[in-house]
Amino acid sequence: MQIMISFLLAILSSMLIDNVVLSRFYGICPFLGVSRKVKSSFGMGIAVVFVIVLATVICWPLYNFVLVPAGIPFMDTVAYILVIASLVQLVGLFIKKYSPSLYKSLGIYLPLITTNCAVLGVAQGNTDQGLCFLSSLANGIGTSIGFLLIIVVFSCIRVRLESSNVPKAFKGLPIALIVAAIMAIAFMGLQGLFAGIQL
Amino acid sequence: MSKETYLIIAIVILVSLLVTFIVSFVLYRRTPVPKGCEHIKISEENCSSCSHEECSFYKGKGEE
Repeated sequence: MQIMISFLLAILSSMLIDNVVLSRFYGICPFLGVSRKVKSSFGMGIAVVFVIVLATVICWPLYNFVLVPAGIPFMDTVAYILVIASLVQLVGLFIKKYSPSLYKSLGIYLPLITTNCAVLGVAQGNTDQGLCFLSSLANGIGTSIGFLLIIVVFSCIRVRLESSNVPKAFKGLPIALIVAAIMAIAFMGLQGLFAGIQL
Repeated sequence: MSKETYLIIAIVILVSLLVTFIVSFVLYRRTPVPKGCEHIKISEENCSSCSHEECSFYKGKGEE
């Protein structure tokens, strides 16, 4: 029971307090590029969740049971990039085959999941911090759901901004960056949420 | 197991990862592009007059 509670708290912590986009500035490219429409941002978020969770599940054993015993832990980044690139190709293949509308919405941003540093950042961070498998999984799930949450909320705000009276100088990307900054400040207010709880 | 055995296993796994990537890349390229998505690229000429709001390149009224 205690493990389950710690697991859920670790997911919430990675999702809200240590949010990958707003506190570590990972994944800014799809965050700004695919957040004009709620539908496409949700699709991108789901694809990133799938890739991050699977990459975490594959990369942690790969590092701890293959690279470290073989004495080549410095090859971790190369191995992770191969895993992530393969996963993205498979996700892209699936979307291209079974969801043409999502393929059309994501457009050129689909291969960008490969270069989404949030995916590599999570895999690399898990091994660098020496987390156990469950903690890594919680970090992966929390980070990816946090990315999904932020990109969908941000796209909802951007949709409303399109119909609002924004000064000409701030139209488009400038107002989007200001909104992202305000969101980052708002999420900073969640720090200390689990301060009294022993994880 | 000796360190050499682990090293061989690691190399085999890394090579198999590379092969997986190449195979998935080839399959992705060979999969036919869905109808209506054949020419997904930014074109100032076409995009400026387009009103397809679901497109990722659609900029909206008066934006930018």
